[in-house]
Amino acid sequence: MTPGNVPIPRPAPHIAESPNIKLTSRSTYLKERFLRYLFAAAALVAVLGVLLIFFFVGIRGWPIFQKVGVWDFLTGMVWAPTATPPQYGIFPMLFGSFVVMAGALVLGAPLAIGTAIFLSEIASPKVRSVVRPAVELLAGVPSVVFGFFGLLVLRPFLAAGSGTLGLGLMAGWLILAIMVVPTIATLTEDALDSVSGGVREASYAMGATTWQTIYKVLVPSARVGIIDAIILGMGRAIGETMAVLMVIGNAPVIPKGLFAPFSTITTQIVIDMSYATGDHRTALFGMAIVLFAISMLFVAAVRLVSRLFGAED
Amino acid sequence: MAPKARTVSNTLAMTLLWTSAIVTVGVLFALIAYVFINGIAQISLDFIFGYPRGLHAEGGIWPTIVASVYVTGLAMLIVTPIGILAAVYLSEYARQGRMVKAIRFAADSLAAIPSIVLGLFGLALFVEALGIGFSVLSGALALAFLMLPIVMRTTEEAIRAVPRYIRWGSYGLGATKWQTVSRVVLPAAAPRVLTGLILATGRAVGETAVVIYTMGTMINTPVTPLDPGRSMTVHLYLLSTEGINLQAAYGTALLLMVMILGFNLTARLIVRRSRRLSE
Amino acid sequence: MAVVLCASLLATALSGCATSGPSQRLTVTGSTTILPIAELSAEMFDAAHPGVKVLVSGVGSSAGIESVTSGSSDIGTSSRELKGDELKAGLVDSAIAYDAIAVIVNPDNPVKDLSTAQVRGIFTGKIRDWSEVGGPSMPILLVNRDAASGTREAFDKIVLKGATFDPTAAVLPGTGQVRAVVAQAKGSVGYISLGFVTDQVKAVSIDGVAPSPSTVKDGTYPVRRTLHFFTRGQPKGLARQYVDYVLSQVIQKDVIGKAGFTPIGSGK
Repeated sequence: MTPGNVPIPRPAPHIAESPNIKLTSRSTYLKERFLRYLFAAAALVAVLGVLLIFFFVGIRGWPIFQKVGVWDFLTGMVWAPTATPPQYGIFPMLFGSFVVMAGALVLGAPLAIGTAIFLSEIASPKVRSVVRPAVELLAGVPSVVFGFFGLLVLRPFLAAGSGTLGLGLMAGWLILAIMVVPTIATLTEDALDSVSGGVREASYAMGATTWQTIYKVLVPSARVGIIDAIILGMGRAIGETMAVLMVIGNAPVIPKGLFAPFSTITTQIVIDMSYATGDHRTALFGMAIVLFAISMLFVAAVRLVSRLFGAED
Repeated sequence: MAPKARTVSNTLAMTLLWTSAIVTVGVLFALIAYVFINGIAQISLDFIFGYPRGLHAEGGIWPTIVASVYVTGLAMLIVTPIGILAAVYLSEYARQGRMVKAIRFAADSLAAIPSIVLGLFGLALFVEALGIGFSVLSGALALAFLMLPIVMRTTEEAIRAVPRYIRWGSYGLGATKWQTVSRVVLPAAAPRVLTGLILATGRAVGETAVVIYTMGTMINTPVTPLDPGRSMTVHLYLLSTEGINLQAAYGTALLLMVMILGFNLTARLIVRRSRRLSE
Repeated sequence: MAVVLCASLLATALSGCATSGPSQRLTVTGSTTILPIAELSAEMFDAAHPGVKVLVSGVGSSAGIESVTSGSSDIGTSSRELKGDELKAGLVDSAIAYDAIAVIVNPDNPVKDLSTAQVRGIFTGKIRDWSEVGGPSMPILLVNRDAASGTREAFDKIVLKGATFDPTAAVLPGTGQVRAVVAQAKGSVGYISLGFVTDQVKAVSIDGVAPSPSTVKDGTYPVRRTLHFFTRGQPKGLARQYVDYVLSQVIQKDVIGKAGFTPIGSGK
């Protein structure tokens, strides 16, 4: 999250920048001006980046929308780019992406929020010094290592237990759930920390237990931050590629059970990219456009939530 | 609520909360233990400094280590000045207005973009359109975009954490804006800025989807930035999906985790040291 | 086409380069399936013959055949047979290995033999339960390879003959993974190169013939293809030496066997 827009109270624009009062040399004034523009340019690189990504991915993927039509692309149920005639329907992958994200959130958000509440309200400094680094470390584990673990440990475990291949939604949910925990936990902890201490003390003073304070006072106060955390966790989950790729089985269909192979937008791109040519490749870039659009929606959602609910602070 | 019910619900809640924390920490330890136990047998000087031989990459993984370090280092070189100057602008120079809003939205968007989209973007722009081809440079440029929002955010927070009176003292002495920023504010914020850079680098080292489409999958020890290479993460991915040489996969995973743990601990140490100094 | 142009340009440029490097050069291009064998053999050949450099690249069987026909490479490797006009180009085949594909099931699965038609039915999704092919009543769990795989391509051509794979099958991007998954899941079935079959999995007989190096060599095992080194006319000189080297015990046993293929015979 970008820091809150609290401006640093600063003195009036520096006299070195006002050309009327000649307390500094013209060269210093020009230098300061130049530097200001230089820094602004650096900041605009971020904007440039987003525009470039939008442009280049868009240009590569747009032809598929012209060929197949946006509606048919998004709702088509058959993904068979190498068949004759080729079919480019990505609905099964959209379904896969959203369902695996939803399950991961259902499993991961409570775990993350619980850990965050624990860290912020219950843990003694000694315990905190173990748990918080653990959460930060978990955030640093590369997704390919999670996938590796999922492939070699989780999948066989699920396969043995269910008599299936072990690949599919259940594996995806479990791996993805643990991957979103650090994102959601860190942001939730920040949100809880920013609730002023006086609120807590008032609650305890009225005789509330710790749990009552938490769920009646703290969580509601921090709810904007918590919702933001969850939305960002959703964004992380839907954009995840490598870990999911290694455990879900990669069949471009809607799964008929918890242990049936399926595919997501991200994984289908990787699986196909190594050999795709022509229209097939364009279609993959088209899927990237869809992903880009979805991630922007999440960013907008966070801002919307802050605007709708944040005004009460 | 009756007092007894309150205590019961409290105890139940405490148990659940403790359980969450234990599960989270437990999974991390399980992961580290699994990689460590299986990978430690593989680690040897030959593994670290040797080259892959034979059909299934027996031998060492030195080219992948070089590739990972090279591409991440170059990315850091590219993103550090841009990210820090951008953050300086946002916190010291900018007036709240439409441009600042646009920049913040862009930074948030950049942070939210899935890494596979960044990878395909890198492929489309750097590898193909600009013709740089699969190379360390293409990878570093793509990674720089990945790291930029992280560096911007952490640097801005570091700058804002510098107490205001320090700035006023500087202005009071007649220093210009730039003199204040460069000689007073940035040095004061340096430990936190450095921590942010290290964390961003740690994130970049763990990336797979971005580098596989920009630096490529060829086993090669890159010398110039235009050389292709295979990063440790890509190597781990390819080894584990092929499934024949799992020993090398464990070893690669372990070295990767050691690197990332190293980054994390270093960042932590810097913050702790700086806190001690400022007290 | 552009690829062939580039490959031939590169080969010409490299062969014309006489300022530095070894005096004798051999260019070998073609199949990506054969690439690992060719590369490793080239490495070992170079080491045994100072002054010689064998340059290997892999762009595809078709490109390999085209470049040896046009003269831009000395040896064209291919994992498929010649077809159409290629048969009239005067190319001589030196077969260097067989790629036999075994259909594997879980060791606890009592099914021992399947007909080609049954295998086709299973992998296209028409046969869904093991009871339909003489096994216990258990749903068939299909494991497929990714579309970039040479093994899948071969299996598709030889067994499926143009029919489409069942889209609900799990798609795994590596031999080791297919083997590991089939080794554990009772109802599963997949296919891997014969050379990678271990006792973790069971290879079924196809049309009554069990896969083994001998049944592959004498052609009775149906699911196999030949890996070729094509040359313009009989191989001569350095090409002859390299081909003989690849057919020798050293390569056949160590490299070809390790790559998962079936050696073609004891060498000279």
